[in-house]
Amino acid sequence: MEQPERYRVHHAFIWLGGLRALFVTLWVIVVGAFSGLAALVAEITENPAFARDAGFVFALIVGGIIAVVLVIAALCFLLRWLQWRHLWYQFDPAEFSIYSGVISKKRTHVPYGRVQSVDQKATLIQRVLGLCAVSIDTAGGANNKAIVVPYVTKSQAEALRQQLYVQKAQLAAGAVAPVAAADGAVASGEAAPGAAAAPVMVDAAPVPMAAHPAAPGEGNILDAASDLTAQMSGVFDSPSFAQEAPSYEYGLSNKQLVLTGLFNNTSFVIVAVGLLAVVGQLIQGVADLVPNSDVLFESAVESVVAREGALMAGGILLGVFLVIALVMWALSAVGTMLSFGGFKARRRGDRVEVERGILQHSFQGVAIDRVQSVIISQTLVCRLMGYCEISLGKIDAMGDGSNESNKGKGGVQAGRVVVHPFVKKSQCAEIIAGLIPEFADMPTQATAVAPVAMRRAILRRTLWQGPGFWLIVATALLHVLMHVAAVATQDPDLFDLLTIFDPAATFLYAVGAVCMIANCIGAVMWARESSFAVNRRFMQVSNGGLSRESVSFPRQKIQFGCVRTNPFQRMAKTATLKAVIAAGVGGTTISLVDVTEEDAAHWMEWLEPRR
Amino acid sequence: MRPLPTSKLDPRIKMVWRLNDALWITILALCLVLPLWLISLDADEPLLSTAAIVAAVIAVALYVLCLVVLPPIRYQRWRYQLTEDYLEIALGIVWRKRFIIPFIRVQNTDTRQGPIMRAFGLSSVTVATAAGNHEIPGLDVEQAEQVRDRAAELARLAREDV
Repeated sequence: MEQPERYRVHHAFIWLGGLRALFVTLWVIVVGAFSGLAALVAEITENPAFARDAGFVFALIVGGIIAVVLVIAALCFLLRWLQWRHLWYQFDPAEFSIYSGVISKKRTHVPYGRVQSVDQKATLIQRVLGLCAVSIDTAGGANNKAIVVPYVTKSQAEALRQQLYVQKAQLAAGAVAPVAAADGAVASGEAAPGAAAAPVMVDAAPVPMAAHPAAPGEGNILDAASDLTAQMSGVFDSPSFAQEAPSYEYGLSNKQLVLTGLFNNTSFVIVAVGLLAVVGQLIQGVADLVPNSDVLFESAVESVVAREGALMAGGILLGVFLVIALVMWALSAVGTMLSFGGFKARRRGDRVEVERGILQHSFQGVAIDRVQSVIISQTLVCRLMGYCEISLGKIDAMGDGSNESNKGKGGVQAGRVVVHPFVKKSQCAEIIAGLIPEFADMPTQATAVAPVAMRRAILRRTLWQGPGFWLIVATALLHVLMHVAAVATQDPDLFDLLTIFDPAATFLYAVGAVCMIANCIGAVMWARESSFAVNRRFMQVSNGGLSRESVSFPRQKIQFGCVRTNPFQRMAKTATLKAVIAAGVGGTTISLVDVTEEDAAHWMEWLEPRR
Repeated sequence: MRPLPTSKLDPRIKMVWRLNDALWITILALCLVLPLWLISLDADEPLLSTAAIVAAVIAVALYVLCLVVLPPIRYQRWRYQLTEDYLEIALGIVWRKRFIIPFIRVQNTDTRQGPIMRAFGLSSVTVATAAGNHEIPGLDVEQAEQVRDRAAELARLAREDV
């Protein structure tokens, strides 16, 4: 039996990884020994003679520390080298295997059929070196981790991905998957840049625009930079291999990129809150200028003076807050723009590939039959402008904790691949038809929520689930308590506190009221716009409101369905639909509250498998 | 509305639920009431002894609720049905839930038996999909094996996709 070829990862695994491990260890040691060091420094500053007397000892200590650091460094690199020696992957006939572990050996096998998606990520240093980490997702449920092949050259990663898909396709076609020797001739990690034997090369640079009629006004300022970095293959990388030409491809236009940066991040919320606060302050200032008639004249003058001062201070504070918020917004906008710089989404064969990021480059590839859902979401701002975000739901493995895939940064959300961050609503259908025609056949006959849902939604969203309402209740309780305490104890300090607390409470009431009004409007809009629709193959659930999300998924991908009712719903003859799909980590539930009982029953019938 | 699924659990499950709940309530009550009571004996603090009494009353109320009131209702509401293609489950007293789990989505099935269940000769069947598990508690051991085998077989017959 011929042994399949073993592929090693790049030697940067040893020194780059070793350096990282070294820094971490040193950091831990420094933190651990901090108190001792601090005591020593304090001793020296207090008693300079001590340092002179103990000069020799001191030098010895410093020398000792350096020696220890060197030993630790040597150990780190030795360990990494050992790990590297025992880390390799190979393409077995039926599965992809990765071997690791020095003392306790670990072998991970992934049957080709189970490969969900193959992603590629590179930090800035790795990009400069032309390296990246490949992570292979499997549908392993909640406590399964992605298989990560660290530190491979970009071309090796491409070959790896290609090979995985080739094997999978062969397996699907029922062929006895022989390891395709020609395809498998992967440039090994040590291959010199620009190896002469490389097959037909295709540059990573985008294919001419003419080939993509669906791409409207493509290209943006950051694309040039991204192309540059894509062409600069890095220190260790060899040129890439030929690939099947994509059948559909698009990027972001300048306008889309800037809008994405400005509105597609959470910092915008901070600015909005800041603006709200300023408005509140203004209203309060106006209200304070109208004096209360029942207050004695002198005290009124006094309090007006005091309040004027407080108002000034508050105004300055708010101004500072607003400036900070604006700066944060600008920074995060730039961050988002960088992370979406060089954005390219394309359909290649039977998979969707999304590439983005100027500094940290990421490449996500999902096989079409692994796409769980198509999500079209609109935040309030997007809605007002008529734009939306399109993403694909896919199964995600658990991140490594330190992995950036779990952070909600720059629009990255677990279980979602953003295929367009900011697109006109009218172009949605076009993009979906181009990128994933399999999902283009959407149901059209929507079943709206029950009429009674509006009343229930208003009650639910403004009262018992509304943050504004509870803010008002909590503030009122505190307010009353403070006043009662002040009157009961007759403590002058408490009365002083009240002069500050009263306006603060007014402000909180205002915020709560605004929140409640927003919630109420959201509830009405939700009831008007929410619906579900089914046809033979697909289900679509739209949840409206101030922001709007509509999720479409094939019937095949529904893991199980659930209809839930609470006593109030049973009185109102409504029910909550819950369709659970496997996207994300451990599944995603798509629910729609308050459809009529009959519709729920019909939906359950629809859910029953058909022969 | 859709008719309820037909199969019920084994009646002995009520006893299992009772024992299980009794165990937990007893442990919790002992952790709360005993220390309070002992301290109040020593410190002669009226507040502490009232707290102990309140805790004890709550414990008794919980006993009554979980041992007398809930099990029959819960048993009445817990229904399941195995059809050719899917498993249907209906459960819940206040929040009533109905699940439809197609066998083509089932990844694996297994039976499990805790010590209390074993004493009653019962077993539970767990059906796992890619997005969560469902458990049918309290089936006769024989029946549980049958259900598991049937679910596994139906799941195997179905086409592979996730």
